Amino acid sequence: MGYKILIAVSAIAIIITLFLTNNVNEREQQRIDLATVPEISVEGMSKSEDWARYYPRQYSSWKKTKESGTIVDMLEEKPQLAVLWAGYGFAKDYNAPRGHYYALQDNINSLRTGAPKDKKTGPMPTACWTCKSPDVPRIMKQEGEMEYFTGKWAKYGHEIVNSVGCADCHSNETGKLAVNRAYLDRGLKAAGLPTFDESSHQEKRNLVCAQCHSEYYFKKTEWTDEKGNAKVAKVVTFPWANGLTAEGMEKYYDERDFVDFVNKISKTPIIKTQHPGYELFKTGIHSQKGVACADCHMPYTQEGSVKYSDHQLQNPLKTMDRSCMPCHRENEEKLAKIVKRKYERKDQLHELAMDNLAKAHLETAKAMEVGASDAELKEIRTHIRHGQWRWDYAVASHPSFFHAPEETLRLLASANEEAMQARIKLVSVLAKHGVLNYKAPDFSTKEKAQKLAGVPLQDLINAKLKFKETLEKEWHKEAVANGALNMESKKDVDLQSSYFNN
Amino acid sequence: MLSMAILLLIYMLNTAKAFSYLSAEPTACINCHVMNTQYATWQHSSHALTATCVDCHLPNDGTINKYMAKARDGWNHTVAFTFDTYEPVITISDDAAKRVQKNCIGCHKSITTTLVGNADRNHSYNDDEVQNGRKCWDCHRGVPHGKVRGLTTTPNNLGIKEVN
Repeated sequence: MGYKILIAVSAIAIIITLFLTNNVNEREQQRIDLATVPEISVEGMSKSEDWARYYPRQYSSWKKTKESGTIVDMLEEKPQLAVLWAGYGFAKDYNAPRGHYYALQDNINSLRTGAPKDKKTGPMPTACWTCKSPDVPRIMKQEGEMEYFTGKWAKYGHEIVNSVGCADCHSNETGKLAVNRAYLDRGLKAAGLPTFDESSHQEKRNLVCAQCHSEYYFKKTEWTDEKGNAKVAKVVTFPWANGLTAEGMEKYYDERDFVDFVNKISKTPIIKTQHPGYELFKTGIHSQKGVACADCHMPYTQEGSVKYSDHQLQNPLKTMDRSCMPCHRENEEKLAKIVKRKYERKDQLHELAMDNLAKAHLETAKAMEVGASDAELKEIRTHIRHGQWRWDYAVASHPSFFHAPEETLRLLASANEEAMQARIKLVSVLAKHGVLNYKAPDFSTKEKAQKLAGVPLQDLINAKLKFKETLEKEWHKEAVANGALNMESKKDVDLQSSYFNN
Repeated sequence: MLSMAILLLIYMLNTAKAFSYLSAEPTACINCHVMNTQYATWQHSSHALTATCVDCHLPNDGTINKYMAKARDGWNHTVAFTFDTYEPVITISDDAAKRVQKNCIGCHKSITTTLVGNADRNHSYNDDEVQNGRKCWDCHRGVPHGKVRGLTTTPNNLGIKEVN
């Protein structure tokens, strides 16, 4: 009897469980169907227009990065820069950054990338494209990373034709956050940090930005291609082995005697800071509280009844209601005023440090002129090198000051101290050679400063304009023919630059 | 027969990710996709940095209370999801609302102590869970799930809708 009941109960249990299992599996399938993401082909991945039909809101907000299109000629704003960068590309042309929409065109238009006549001429290596386009990871996949990093900038002019877009931060297969530039993981490993895949989702929302908004240099690397030819690649490398701090990287470069350029005025071996945005951010309070880049720069946005992440990356002070106010429960206007006051404080130190560094360069030139030896100037040049690195580190990234106010002020103060040490020592070197009360020449306008730096501006502009009429047009034709470019997407990239306005 | 029933039961519990519900992991709450909107809006709010789903929605005054509430909710949710008896726009139950209210006050103690004290002293209301006759989110409406609710409001967390 008991046996029969057991069988009956088991049978009922089996029927119920089967029903439930079936139900669970059906629901799971629904979940998968809902979460299934369209796959973008590898060929189409670098063209953001190909993603637009699946992600219309993200695409149209990305396109609004076009709104941040004003050209601000930084050499006009801060003429000291031309003295500090004498002998380097940045003394020729340097504008404030604009929206992602312009990233590629600004790279092409800049006088820094010169005026190549064919694939093998021009001053810059291919590495200069690295952060400007989703075509870069496409080429790295197709041709191999080392081949990509070999040769001149003009080698890929016909291939790299789409500005920073979807495939720079997202996987074309899953749509999830992804980084296709291997040097990021190499940098993280060198610093002893988790790689991209090992990081949390929140950290990934920093790291997709970090692949470009970081300090880097081009490391000369010898390699051999498949045919056995010895080649030299210039590989984008993060100097993070001694930590993600200004002093750690300064040590890294000093240990390797690394020099970006020798200042033409003072013959000082200089390290040009690129833009350590990620590293500085990590030292600031927002990062310590667990906020990610995307929280402020890509605020969650309501459009009708739909919510999504805004892809119009811009200054969060323009979207304070969405970027700041979800955490800061106070008056928006009051918060904006606090930020403004902080900037004024920074600007004062910023100018001081730049002026003293520029004067140190010019006073060193005078010392050389009256016969000071390299041995006499060695210590002075080290002060200038370190001062300039720290000043540049503090201000070179996109509003670094906001990301880490105290760190920025500390670096500017430290830079000013190095510059003043150099200048104090210069006074005695100059006196030793009979020069008293020397006053550095005036560098208060772009023209005066560029003259001191020996920049033949008009020649550079003429050559560039010729390049734009010839080689650049060929690149476009070729790119359209091989399917890498949809000319429609380039249609309204304006051709502004500081020299077009002249 | 009995062993078959037990095996099937284990299989079912496994496919239903039953044990994940014992954790405090917010992703367990979106095993069933009905809560995707709530998950997505929470994830982008400032609460995501400090409070998970259970920090607000379950009682935090002891393990027994917590798991009793979890079991009750779990049963109700399972029945609703299995037999499709839930509404398109989900609203919080009275019991759950009381818990959330308690947790709002619990975490924001430093700024709510005076408010709660004044309410207790100067007003008389029947519902002792709801100070001043109002719940926190009667005013703080967007915290933390935003002002829009419903399945269509966070499209890319529910799979991608093609628009042509």
